Amino acid sequence: MIMLDSIDELLTHIKEVQLDVIELSNESLMKMSSFMEKNGLEIDEDISTALQYQDIITQQLTATIDAIESAKTSLDIFSHAYKSDEGLANESISKLKEKLNLTLQEAKDKKSRFSGKSAESSVDDEIEFF
Amino acid sequence: MPLVIFVDDSETALASTRMVTNSMPIEVKQYTEAQVALAEIKAGLTPDLIITDLNMPVMNGFEFLKGLREVPATKRTPTLMLTTETKPELKQQGKALGLTGWIVKPFNPAQLKSAITRVLRLPA
Repeated sequence: MIMLDSIDELLTHIKEVQLDVIELSNESLMKMSSFMEKNGLEIDEDISTALQYQDIITQQLTATIDAIESAKTSLDIFSHAYKSDEGLANESISKLKEKLNLTLQEAKDKKSRFSGKSAESSVDDEIEFF
Repeated sequence: MPLVIFVDDSETALASTRMVTNSMPIEVKQYTEAQVALAEIKAGLTPDLIITDLNMPVMNGFEFLKGLREVPATKRTPTLMLTTETKPELKQQGKALGLTGWIVKPFNPAQLKSAITRVLRLPA
């Protein structure tokens, strides 16, 4: 179980680093956009895309933070079950594997959903009106 | 001037739209929380166009849209979804809720301007 504690600490560390990256990238882009607004600078398509990538970065990192939280919860449940009754360990391992697989699938789904046009060159540039 | 409301939980996304629309003959109000925008609309704010993100904490774009359609003043207000989502089933869901159109991020500034101009029937 010492190994699980180490994994938990590692996941916590990764989550904290990702939160810092979100905050820094947000701050960086807000400084740049406020400079541009203050000086009345027009943005072209490239700059607009660059600004919007920050939003995509935030969504992608937030999705992986959600996955980390979910994995940590599953590990925690397993760890408690194992500590209370070692006989339950095999059953708990199966459940843990199932939950981690589900977490991975959800994280992969979010990766694809939150990329927008940045990942799909096939997505048309036209605005779709209903 | 027509009032356009932008709702997005991302400050940088709002800054991008602000820089695109600041030269247009429109008044813009921006919100990082859909529930705050909806509360102001219920209190009497009457936008001519609403542009909202889909994935937001607390109240997502579809929930916001449903709320808008329950308010008599915004029952038919044109509403565009501005999102990273590209799934056809989500677009269908939006269409069924009375959405006017779907814009995929990152948006093209000229096309966002053109969409606003078209929906509000502004002089080109």
